[in-house]
Parts: sequence; structure tokens; C-alpha cells
Amino acid sequence: MIALNNSKTWTLSNYLLALVLLIPVLVMLFGGLTASTQLFLHLWQSVLPRYLENTILLGFFVVLLAVFFGVISAAIITQTNILCKSLLRWLLLLPLAMPAYLIAYLYTDLFDYAGPVQRTLRDWFGWQSPNDYWFFDLRTLSGAALMLALVLFPYVYMLVRGAFEQQDQNLIKASRLLGLTAKQSFLRVALPLARPAIGISASLVLMETLADFATVQYFSVNTLTTAIYDTWLGYGDLGAANALASVLMLLVLFVVLAEQKSRKGVRHQSSRPSINKTVIVLTASQQFFASVFCWGLVAAGFLVPLVMLIIMVVDYSSVNQFSLLVSTGINSLKVSVIAATITVFIALSFGFYQRFHANKFRHLPLRISGFGYAIPGTVLAMAMLSTLGPVDHWLNDIASYAGLTSPGLILSGSLFAIIFALVVRFLAIANGTVVNGINLIPHSLDYAPASLGVSFKGSLIKVHIPLLTKTIFVAWLLVFVEAMKELPVVLLLRPFNFETLSSQVYQLISDEMLEQGALGAILIVIFGLLPIVLLNKSK
Amino acid sequence: MTTPLLSIEQLSVTLDNKKVLLDLNLILEQGDILGLVGASGCGKTTLLHAIAGFTKISQGQIIIDGKVLSNTKQSLPAEQRQVGMVFQDYALFPHLTVKQNIAFGISKLTHSEQVKQVKHLLGILKLEEYANKFIHQLSGGQQQRVAIARALAPKPKLLMLDEPFSNIDARLRTELMLEIRSLLKLFNTTAIFVTHNKDEVFTFADKMAVMANGYLLQFDQPNIICQQPNSYQVADFLQLGSWLPCLVDGIKASSLLGEIKLGSNKGSEQGLRYLLVKPSQLQLNEDVSVNTIANAQVDYISLTEQGFHYYFSSLDGKSDKKLQFSKLSLYSHIVLSIKQKVRLSINPHAFLMFTKDQ
Repeated sequence: MIALNNSKTWTLSNYLLALVLLIPVLVMLFGGLTASTQLFLHLWQSVLPRYLENTILLGFFVVLLAVFFGVISAAIITQTNILCKSLLRWLLLLPLAMPAYLIAYLYTDLFDYAGPVQRTLRDWFGWQSPNDYWFFDLRTLSGAALMLALVLFPYVYMLVRGAFEQQDQNLIKASRLLGLTAKQSFLRVALPLARPAIGISASLVLMETLADFATVQYFSVNTLTTAIYDTWLGYGDLGAANALASVLMLLVLFVVLAEQKSRKGVRHQSSRPSINKTVIVLTASQQFFASVFCWGLVAAGFLVPLVMLIIMVVDYSSVNQFSLLVSTGINSLKVSVIAATITVFIALSFGFYQRFHANKFRHLPLRISGFGYAIPGTVLAMAMLSTLGPVDHWLNDIASYAGLTSPGLILSGSLFAIIFALVVRFLAIANGTVVNGINLIPHSLDYAPASLGVSFKGSLIKVHIPLLTKTIFVAWLLVFVEAMKELPVVLLLRPFNFETLSSQVYQLISDEMLEQGALGAILIVIFGLLPIVLLNKSK
Repeated sequence: MTTPLLSIEQLSVTLDNKKVLLDLNLILEQGDILGLVGASGCGKTTLLHAIAGFTKISQGQIIIDGKVLSNTKQSLPAEQRQVGMVFQDYALFPHLTVKQNIAFGISKLTHSEQVKQVKHLLGILKLEEYANKFIHQLSGGQQQRVAIARALAPKPKLLMLDEPFSNIDARLRTELMLEIRSLLKLFNTTAIFVTHNKDEVFTFADKMAVMANGYLLQFDQPNIICQQPNSYQVADFLQLGSWLPCLVDGIKASSLLGEIKLGSNKGSEQGLRYLLVKPSQLQLNEDVSVNTIANAQVDYISLTEQGFHYYFSSLDGKSDKKLQFSKLSLYSHIVLSIKQKVRLSINPHAFLMFTKDQ
């Protein structure tokens, strides 16, 4: 069949749009990598090795911990008869809604010298000073790794659980008939079969870790993201910040490529449903340890921090705090609604283009624009600054040449830059959702309207968009939530005195005053829960 | 002479550098129902899509009612062709009710006209009680009726049906075919329907077209094609009989079942030919002894309402490999066992012989 619309303008506009989304990152990479060798030499001789080492070590530890937490919990839920299984099944996803910087702050509060835990211990044992006892210090690289792993392990849990559940039960049955016990067949068949899922989820965790800024900043662990932030906001050195961002970008690119390469040639799970699955029956002590492990993860990654936040709200809520919340909340809403709406429009345009156009490379705009999700917010913010900044200067030059009043930093210093960065960063989510939705529409429905005398535009309006209503809503919501939660982009690009919920919560955390913004933090968590609820429902 | 409703002249279609349709000619008169048959991948659906305007043509032209729809220079957009289509999966809009689906293509009419026409079609297709239901609330047969009503509503000049009966329960199929045929006749609608089931053609169509590898092999009334297939491919696809390889030399032909005397009109032919053998044209002698030499053995047995159905293969392993046969089909009430040796012979009849590349 031929495509129903072969308009060249359509091709041009989609390609142009994809290119526009790509340009800032290209400009930054070009600027960063062609930066003077002297600058690189200087960075290399001073801070870069340390930052790189910290970044890589952090990534390594987080992946290690997240895989440990995620695979074991997925195995317990799918392979054993643990109590409250159906409840734990989705409770284990909840930590995804908790920003790592939030639990970093809350646990520091809980465990530091002045915190309730150490105070209680000192009371009990009569210790007088820090010299009397040893207590772990959370504000270290390994502490940061633990905090990140506690909220990122659900990625591993979710994908590996899916892999276990979709495994061909006949393979397991065959291994049992060949003389393996349930445990042996899990270790020798089920686990190796889940390797692709573990690999994919581990790379997701690694990318999220590389993108993290607030946790490491709060713990004063110097990684590439914190270095970019400090170099730009602290020293105002755009060139060096760009160079560091480019290094981070290359690191991320390496992870993405490695992940794609490892996925090549791996055959996916069978879709034979796992009915009548035999589970490992736990003994009483195993039941106890398994329950402690799973409930411990849910508690540490979600329940304890949430309860602490609620206590803070109860103890410290005030009218002042509430009015602050309303004003920042409105800012957040404004930015997120605009970003989500634009993102969904672009995703629909790319999705329909791929579906209907005859162009051989009709997948390209979707592919190109999907790269943004891998780019850390800090890097993306640098890309915006290094691209939109010069454009602003250029516009001002033109204005002064034409004798007009200078417009100021209308692109880089306004919401435009934030929204642009959010669109680039989260378009992949909208793309994925919209393309899945479009693929569910049978191809015959593309052609039926034409056979009834209805034009292409008419068919989009009367058939495809109505059929995609739910998809469009889901895509919009997912981007909206991510935009609400996004921190580094906002921190680096916000106009003067412009605060969103997340930037304000982070600011208060930096000032050790989260109590003042606990309500906002709870709101962020609630927004983070929306996609999890959605995800759970669609399952 | 009246203008034909559909006229396809020297149509070729190339998709992804592959020739899918080659030099195809076809003429349909107003009210004709054409059954288009052929193995899957032979180009049937591509032909429908070319007529509907969903596929670009690389050569030739398609004319409906005197108006050129496609040629190498121009192609009228699908929505302006007045060609209706019933899709294999019906392609009904799941977000619309039965009534709204039927009215989809007539939104340019006034509301009252729309209501009138939808009501008329609902009545004819016995769908009144489902008017406000959604598609998923209907059975397969009901869905198909909605698809037909929807396609007929804009009064298309030509209606095309892509394997319309493939999703229908076998027990309901014949009834539904007759019902839809009488409906098309009622509207005097010219229609083309695609099927890979040749039996449907006899119940549903007035004319038959057999396609293979992008070529239109034969186009005629169904009974004529069955009596006089014009090629090996047509007879083979329609399973009109089994094949006995023969070496033709003038008016006689030699085969592993003995010599066959051909009519004098075959006098000029030479070389390897395949004789179309219907089960009734085979003579079976199961009592083989010293005097009667066996020439075939039983390969397959099944039980049918016409007695046992046997497939035979040639026995003479030393002879010319080209002449060896298999799957020679015969019905008989005589009980044979597998691998039993028998002697077969051909009853004289009007022989139909083809080369394979004909």
C-alpha cells in the first residue's frame, strides 16, 4: 500500500522540527569538544580525573545495589509464595516516586550526629562525644549510591519481574523433569533467561545515576553533573562547563551504545502465559527473611521518607508555607502543562508522519527526537545556554542596530529555554506512548475513510485522534509528571526569582530547611505516583 | 455499445522494485460480480488497492464509468474515486456506533437525508435493532453486514470486497454469501471480491478471474473456466484434477499408464506435457497378476462420501524420471491397502494437456 499523504511540506516540517530539537546538543558537543586543548589540559590536571572517577564509581555502586535489590525482590515475588504477594507486587514500585535527593536529606536528618537515631543511641549507651563510638556517615559516595539505589531499584524489579512472568513455563517444567529442584531450575534456567532484562534495566539505572545532580550535590560528592553546575553557576565559565557536559554526554552515549550492542542477537522471552506456575514454597524462616527484605525495601525507599515528610508537614505547616506552595505550584503547573502539551503535539506529528508518509526515512524524526531522554538534564541545560545565549546576543545586536530597545535574554533567560529543554528531554516518553497507541490501530482503518470519500485530514480528525484520546492523555500525563519532577534543567535555566516546586524543595534542602517545603515535597511524590498507578492499571 | 463500468488496460504495478502486477487487462459491465482468485501473494489485493487508489501504478490505466482514475501521469486521490471497499477485517470504527459507522461516508448529505439513508440500509441489512450498538457488541456476521452497509451508503460505482467471508463461521458462510449477492443484485452494484477459496466464486460471482504471480491468467464465467482452463496454473490452482506427465509426439503420447491416442488437432505438438486427469477418467484394476502388470501403488487413503479416496504414484522406477507421477487422485469403493500395487489406465476423453510454463 502507498502512504495516504505524500506532501513534501509535511516531510520538511517534521525533519526541521527534529533538527531544531537536536541542534542545541550538537552545538554544545561541538563547542565542548573543540574547546581549547589548554582548557582540557587544565581540567585534566585539576579536577576532571577525580570527577570522572567519582562518577564512574557512583554508577558502579548504584547499579550493583539496584540489581541486588531489584533481582532478588523480583525473584521473591514471582518465584515464591511470600505472604501479601499481590500487595508487595506493586508496593515495590513505589520508591520510583521518591526523588533521591529527598530521601538523601531525610535519611541524613535521621542518621546524622544530631539526628534522632544517634541521640537515642547516645542516651542508651551513655556516649558523650563522637569519639566514643563509630557511626556510619551517610554523606559519602557510598551513601549517595545507597540513596540512589533505593529509589532506582524498581526499574530492575519491574523489568526483571516482567521477564520472569513471561518466561516459557515449559522450559522450567523441562528442567524439573531433567532432575533439577525448583531452586536449581530458577538459578540455572530462569535467571539466565532474564539476563537481557537485567542488562536493560541496569543501563536505565546507570543513565539515571549519571543524570543525578541533587543527591550528589547535597552529599558534596563531586561528580561531572555537580562540576558542570559549579563551573557555570559558581565560576561563570561556560567553556569549561560545556567541555565537562560534553564528557558526560559521551559517557552516556557509551552506555546507550553498549546497551544496544548487548541487546543485539538476544532473543526475547516467549509469550507463553505462565499459568499454573509452580512456586517455591518457603519455610518459616525463609518466609521471614524474604518478607523483611521486601518490606524493608518498600519502607526504606518509600514509606519511612513519606512518614517523615508527613510528620514535618504536621509539625511545621503554616499559612506562609502554604502560600509559598501555591505560588511555586502554579509556576510548576504552568511550565509542565506547556511542556507536556507541546511534547504531545510533536509526538503526534512524528507518529502520524511515520505511519502515513511514504518517505523511506519516515522513522527518522521519531528516532532523532527520542535521544533526549538519555541526556542528563544538566547537560541539556548547558546545551540550551550555549545555543540560545548567542542567539539572544545576536537578536540584541540586531535590535540595537535597528535602533530598537534591546529585548534582553528573551530565549535563554526566559521560560522558553526551560520548556525547550523539557520538550527535548521528555519527547521520547511521549513518542513511545503515541507510537504504541498508533500501532494498535489496524492499518485498514487508515484506508477505510478514503474508501468512503473522506480526506486524509478528515480521517485524522474523525478516526485517528478520537481513537487515540486515551493514548494522548497518558502521554501528556507522563510528560507532565516528569516535567513537574525535573530539577537540574530548572535550576540552571530558570529566570531570576522563578521557582518551581522541585527547585524550591531543593533550595530548602540545600539550606537545611526542608520542613518549610515538606508539603511541596509530598506533592512531588504524589505526582510521581501517578505514572506508577497508571502503569499498574495497564498491567 | 455501452461503456463498460470498469476497464483496466495493461496495468502494471511495481512495489519496492518488485513487479507485483503485470500487463493486466480486465473489463466489467454494470452489475457484474467478479470473483478474483489466486494463491496468496499473487497480486489480488494489490489489484484492489490499485483500483481504490492506495497503490501507485507504473503502467497502463484504470477507467471507471468513462473516467480515468489512474494512469502513469495522474492518480485521482482515493477519496474522490467513488470506489467502496469492504476490508478483510471490516475496518469498522470502534469509537462509533453502527449508525455512525454507516453514516461516516455520507456526512456531506443533509442530516435528514443521512438519517433516511442509514435507516434504509439498516432495514435492508436487518440491523435496525443494533443501530446504537458499538462494533464490539456485534457478532462477526453482523459486523460484516455493517461493513457492507457502510460501503454501500455513499453509493459507490464499484464495490470491492477483500476476502469478505474468511472470518465467518463456515456454517453461516453460504447463507451470508447468498444474502449479500442478492443485496448487490438489488442495488445493481458492480463488485469485485477477492478470495483464495475457489468454491466461494461459484456461489457468489458471475465472473471469475484467476491470477498467479502478478498475471491475470484467465477471465471468464466460472463454469467455462472449469471446463476449459487455459493453462496448467489455472487448472492446478482450481484443483480440477491431477497430473499425468506424457511425452507427446504428434497424435500420440506415451505415459507410465500406457500410450494415449490424441485427437488429430494435436498433431503438431512435441515434447513433455501434463495431462489433466479427473478421477472419473481413471480406470482401476486391483487384480494384478502375471498378465496384468502393476503400474502404480497406493500412497494415501482417506474416506469420503464418494467412497475411498486414493492417491497413486508411479511404480516404474527405471523409466524416464520426467514421466513419473504422484498424487494421481481416484475415488473408489474397492478396498485397497497402503503400498498395494494396482494397474491404472486412462479412459479416452477430450484430453486437456499443458506445459508447466504455459
